[in-house]
Amino acid sequence: MVVLMRYAFVSLALLAASAALLRVPGLAHAQDVKIVEISAERFSFNPSEIRVKAGTPLEIRLTSEDTMHGFHILGTDIDLELPKRGRGVASVTFQPAVGRYTFECSRLCGAGHAFMRGVIIATE
Amino acid sequence: MPSSTVENYLKAIYIGTGRLEPPQRLLPMGQLAAALNVTPGTATTMVKTLADSGLVEYEPYAGVSLTTAGQKLAALVTRRHRLIELFLVQVMGYSWDEVHDEAEQLEHIVSDRFVDRMNAMLGRPQTDPHGDPIPDENGRVKPQKVETLLTCPLHTSVTVTRVIDQDRDFLRFIEQHNLKPGEAISVEQRDTAADSVRVRGSDNRQLTIGTRAASKLLVQAVQVLLFVLLAVPAHAQGGQRPADQPRTSLSGYMDFHFNNPEFGDARLDFHRFVLLVTHSFSERIRFVGELELEHAVVEGLEEHGELELEQAYVDFLLSRSFNVRAGMMLMPIGIINERHEPPVYYGVERPFNDTVIIPTTWFDVGAGIHGEIGRGWRYRAFVVAPLDAAQFTAEEGVREGRQKGSDANVGRPAVTGRLEYVAVRGLTLGASGWSGRSGFQFQPLFDVPVSVAEADARYARRRLELRGQFSQVWIDNAARLNEALALRVGVNPNIARGLRGFYGEAGYRVVSRASFGEIGAVVRYENFDTQYRMPPDYVALPAFDREAWIVGATYWPDPDIAVKFDYSIVGSRSTVVHTPNSLNVGLGWWF
Repeated sequence: MVVLMRYAFVSLALLAASAALLRVPGLAHAQDVKIVEISAERFSFNPSEIRVKAGTPLEIRLTSEDTMHGFHILGTDIDLELPKRGRGVASVTFQPAVGRYTFECSRLCGAGHAFMRGVIIATE
Repeated sequence: MPSSTVENYLKAIYIGTGRLEPPQRLLPMGQLAAALNVTPGTATTMVKTLADSGLVEYEPYAGVSLTTAGQKLAALVTRRHRLIELFLVQVMGYSWDEVHDEAEQLEHIVSDRFVDRMNAMLGRPQTDPHGDPIPDENGRVKPQKVETLLTCPLHTSVTVTRVIDQDRDFLRFIEQHNLKPGEAISVEQRDTAADSVRVRGSDNRQLTIGTRAASKLLVQAVQVLLFVLLAVPAHAQGGQRPADQPRTSLSGYMDFHFNNPEFGDARLDFHRFVLLVTHSFSERIRFVGELELEHAVVEGLEEHGELELEQAYVDFLLSRSFNVRAGMMLMPIGIINERHEPPVYYGVERPFNDTVIIPTTWFDVGAGIHGEIGRGWRYRAFVVAPLDAAQFTAEEGVREGRQKGSDANVGRPAVTGRLEYVAVRGLTLGASGWSGRSGFQFQPLFDVPVSVAEADARYARRRLELRGQFSQVWIDNAARLNEALALRVGVNPNIARGLRGFYGEAGYRVVSRASFGEIGAVVRYENFDTQYRMPPDYVALPAFDREAWIVGATYWPDPDIAVKFDYSIVGSRSTVVHTPNSLNVGLGWWF
């Protein structure tokens, strides 16, 4: 009986340690990539507001429903050209620190081009 | 001339060695025998004979490779084979999965002269129907950097360039799943445990194939994958990207129409030539300009074309939710007024509702704010120049009342705004309004308050597009306006106190192929009445209570080019005035 209890105690301790390790930032969850698919069309991105935990790698996949659009995150070097409708997907991986990142269409796409904006909100 | 057996051996060695990974240069005899469907002993005997003829180099227990002479001979046989395959597909209508066997026979029979003629007739092609490169007349092939679906970058758009297995069933599979050369795809995931590759096609559909099949599809990247890790907050960056510096870009669209109305002669009209220019002073301050030439020619006061400055504003982009705009701007009313590039709407002409109820393109001078709040709530609110009621007509409503920013009277400015909901993918819901006092031209001065209310919905997902719009215009004091205009021009214009219109449209892209383009069919019903409500003692003319059916098709060889065809059937409640139907053809493009 004592031996059984000892095994049970050790097993529980190992389980608890595993669970604690999995919660340590940088070991498991923090590196999980969050995938966001954004559709672009004259003159909006959808979704246009993306919320993510700071430090999480964000894989953004962009497709256009019509003409060629751009995807520029203000204040960063990220500036993609989205292929026209049916011609593929543009991808970028972005790992934001805490903050708000405005993104916009960077290729003149029509009369309402200036309305094509969105935001990535990275929180603690 | 070499025998067909010799040619087949040389060709098999040529193709087999072409697929070896460097530094391997010798094709194992087992692989050669399998390719030719003979025993290894038979293959070895023949290869020794070819070595004696100086066409191959044979190393026992290692393999075989071609000499320079053998290489050229094999390349020319391959050239014949691939040109014949292309000829059978393009000229004789064979499908790409049935040409290989025919070409195997014909490649040994046709003369060099025949091959040269075929080459010229096909326009000196570079590849055959499977994407295999066609050697030139000297046996040379331009080297290509290609990868398979097993090696190309993930999540990156690539173009299928070649299918290296000519098995019929495999080729049919490739065709059925839109993986033929020229198709744009991306690899979403590689699962080594399951030996599978998940691919996203140009139509956004996902497909999982085995690694063996994936290894037979060669692709070329069309977009370089950009990895940007550990970005720092926006305010900490500066001057890294060219966009931080001033930059200017030019775009535009054109619209060319053929209209053939009943009871009239056909017309060809270069309807619109529009140039758009933007200049970024910085990431926060932008200029946008749009200059439009309508109907090609502008001549004095005659009824010809118009040269119009439709947009010329500066945007101060303060935040996503609050931005300031000033200058010449589009009124944010309805679907078409702000979204009128020819490839984005069905039909040769814009909807009647967007001509006689909402006077597109409706633009004027003003200033205001715009932005987006939360998940997909967008707004615009502007103070603008009012409409000039002295120019209103019974047939076209308020259309001629646009001041167009030309020394516009803004003694009593109008207000306009729009609220949009765009949070659901493919769906746009909008409501907009305009309100202003338009009687400033008359002495003694009297008010002509004008209001416009509009609601619209648009849903576009994959091949389907649905649209609906309802709009109404109220002209207060219309009786007094009619009296004042009658004194000016001698005829009572019979202007209504209410205009109303609505339409519904359904479009579906029946053909959608990356190599061909897309074809969409459309049907639209419109109802529009510019004398929906009349002032007391005025009678509405039934000729202005109209409806229309438009049926047509659009072909997009490129997403930015639209070849349009439609037939519009227009009717009214009048039994006297017959509104002509019209056959219309249009070519529009955006660049």
